Amino acid sequence: MSFILNGEGREVPADWADESLLFLLREHFGLTGAKFGCGVGICGACTVLVDGAATQSCMMRAGDVAGLSVRTVEGLAEGGALHPVQQAWLDLGVPQCGYCQAGQIMLAVALLDATPRPTDADIDATMEVGLCRCGTYRRIRAAIARAAEAV
Amino acid sequence: MRRRTFLAAAGGGVVALIGAGAAVWTQVPVIPKRPDPDVETALGWISHRDGRYTLVLPRAEMGQNIATALKQVACAELGAAWDAVDVEPHDTRRARVKATVGSESVGVFAEPLAQACAALRDAVAAGQTEGQITVRPRPMAELRAFRPGAIVGTSPEIAQGREIVTGAPLFAADVRRPNMLYGRVLRAPASIEMRSAPGSWDVAAAQRIPGFVAIVEDCGPPIAKARGLGIVATRPGALDAIAAALAVAWDIRGAAPAPDIAGSIDVDARTGAGKLPHTVLDGAPAPGDWDVSLRLDVPFGAHAPIEPRAAVAEWQSGALTVWAGTQDAFYVRDVLADAFGVSADAVTVQSHRIGGGFGGKTICTVEAEAAALARATGRPVKVQWTRAQEFALGFHRPPSSHRVRARVADGRITDWDHAQVSSHILFTSAAVPAWMQKGTDLLVGDPGVARGMAAPYVLGRAHAAYDAIRLPVPGGPWRGLGAGPNGLAVESAIDAAAIVADADPLAFRLAHVADPRLAGVLRRVGAIANWSAAATPAAGQRTGRGLAGGIYKEKSYAAAVADVAVDARGRVRVTRLWCVHDCGLVINPDQVRAQCEGNLVWSLGLVLSDELAIERGRVVAENFADAPIPRMTDVPEITVDLIESDLPPAGAGETAMVAGPGAIANAIRAATGRRPVRFPVRAGDLAA
Repeated sequence: MSFILNGEGREVPADWADESLLFLLREHFGLTGAKFGCGVGICGACTVLVDGAATQSCMMRAGDVAGLSVRTVEGLAEGGALHPVQQAWLDLGVPQCGYCQAGQIMLAVALLDATPRPTDADIDATMEVGLCRCGTYRRIRAAIARAAEAV
Repeated sequence: MRRRTFLAAAGGGVVALIGAGAAVWTQVPVIPKRPDPDVETALGWISHRDGRYTLVLPRAEMGQNIATALKQVACAELGAAWDAVDVEPHDTRRARVKATVGSESVGVFAEPLAQACAALRDAVAAGQTEGQITVRPRPMAELRAFRPGAIVGTSPEIAQGREIVTGAPLFAADVRRPNMLYGRVLRAPASIEMRSAPGSWDVAAAQRIPGFVAIVEDCGPPIAKARGLGIVATRPGALDAIAAALAVAWDIRGAAPAPDIAGSIDVDARTGAGKLPHTVLDGAPAPGDWDVSLRLDVPFGAHAPIEPRAAVAEWQSGALTVWAGTQDAFYVRDVLADAFGVSADAVTVQSHRIGGGFGGKTICTVEAEAAALARATGRPVKVQWTRAQEFALGFHRPPSSHRVRARVADGRITDWDHAQVSSHILFTSAAVPAWMQKGTDLLVGDPGVARGMAAPYVLGRAHAAYDAIRLPVPGGPWRGLGAGPNGLAVESAIDAAAIVADADPLAFRLAHVADPRLAGVLRRVGAIANWSAAATPAAGQRTGRGLAGGIYKEKSYAAAVADVAVDARGRVRVTRLWCVHDCGLVINPDQVRAQCEGNLVWSLGLVLSDELAIERGRVVAENFADAPIPRMTDVPEITVDLIESDLPPAGAGETAMVAGPGAIANAIRAATGRRPVRFPVRAGDLAA
């Protein structure tokens, strides 16, 4: 069971095939950006891109990524330079506790990949998935607008 | 089904046995110690080596960005470059620091840190490169950290921000240890105030689940009166299947708790039965009819951090190390030492960034579960609660029931009476047993319930009193403690009194304010919101604008204006928020604004959505669908303005909770003509 993880070929061990993609990433590959928040795909903290689509990794069976490409928050920066979305997050001081933010960032990356100039309604439709208890929503919205200018 | 079996685990050879009924957990709770820091302790937080400094953060970082603020204080006092200071979380091998609670990290910790940094700076300048130094405390005016300059009063990139946006491991659940296993402690689906324990379970079925390692009976202290049954697996995803296969039959003893929580704290029923025992304001209102008499009820509410609490535990040669996201690492250490019968020196708790605390991660729960499972299996064990466990086994904002009455004459409030019945917040039933609460009830009441009950206005003959009732679901500190619900009650009644007086709500408040800083934030929020203007328009909907203000812990000030739109079916949308905040000298303006924004979102949640469903004394909410929190689409544009001040710095983490809920509720009243009194508001109560 091969798949592409942040641009490199990887194997899903047979005994991890029935695990969730989230725990495969976190516990087998040590990629801790995606977080466990609810376990039923409704908080967005575990969001990664699977073949470019924002996907709640807690709901996807690890074995089902065979042949697909998975991108996580760890795979955004290139050559030491942060992705424009990551940079906008820092420039606007978005994170408070930070726990949901990797998921929020991956939702925003998926949004901007599909819709480089999103309207407020576009932002609402994509980001509605991502819960943040600290209340960073206005800064997330502003950071998406800032990143859209930079992309 | 077999009962209390010693068994050998399938495959891996780990033996799970773990003595039936082994432990008798102590009945005397470990009490948190909360000393204020002094400058000698602060010396342990800062060190110098080869031109670089290390700041060991004496507080838990949970989103208040205290790591950034204290690093700013250190850099300013040391005269060090931003990149020359590394920040690390603390562990319990350091000198004890108090719990990270009460919005006091800047107010209480910044000065000792600055004193220590000043002494270190002078020693380094004098050529000292080794050994300890002593601190000669100097007057505040000599400290450089509290003068606005290149660092203090600015907003550098937040500490750990780069790690957050790149997904680097920061949180307890991100810790991985060699040979680590994954565990969970199952507990009965019942009120945790009922005595419960695992009765029987299906070992063979559990053993058939791939990844099964062990069943652990001796799985740590009960949570309240709920004993657990531990399970351990090689993969976290196997735990759900093992739990299902075990099909534990639970022994649940004792009478089901009173089902009617709202009835047991009904303020009118309680005051009808006699005087409330704890007095906050001791004036004596004159007898007679009241012009305002409001009954407000607020239910249980969850902290609902996105991070369910987590811990990793490992035993080596009788010593325990626990990696934890806790607001009080030293208290957790003390509880673990007590629970496992080892000395405090044999336990190290390494604190981690917390994925949202809000007052809820102050007790020892998941840490003891992980420690017990690690001891039983002889391997490191990670435990992260499920979302359902986070709702069911934590403690929550207790419900409160308020009756606020006011009498108005010649445009002024002459008499005031606020009665409240709630449940314990500081002497919490999650931390102390019922017999001990009886003592605190007699002696001191519960200052957490009282917080914010002393209305910040001159109200003539003013009386306020409360009672705290032990409930089957534990309550405890929730952002702002009593200040959110009390501020909502007080500011709703002030608003109602202004209507009786036919006065503008802002002018009416100012006429009752003696404190110039409160007057300052009220006037300023009126100015930035253009208070006399109409509310933000919304086609075809009723719109309104509301105002509220208050003081938090007698140190910080906030005032807020909210605009709302209410549709024909009674659904409320907050369309605009403004907040003015005065917490004295501001170390990091951007992150103080961020705290205000967060408090306003929490205010919105308190009024519109926060409610934790309870049935027969048991939390039945299992997910965010059952206990929703505010979403992106619920939150409008927010403007925050900070008062520039050189008064001593005070807290910002909870302050705006005194103002936001009242402003939103008063805006709903302005839009609909109906005063919200049952929270969260129900659309049916506000339908056109």
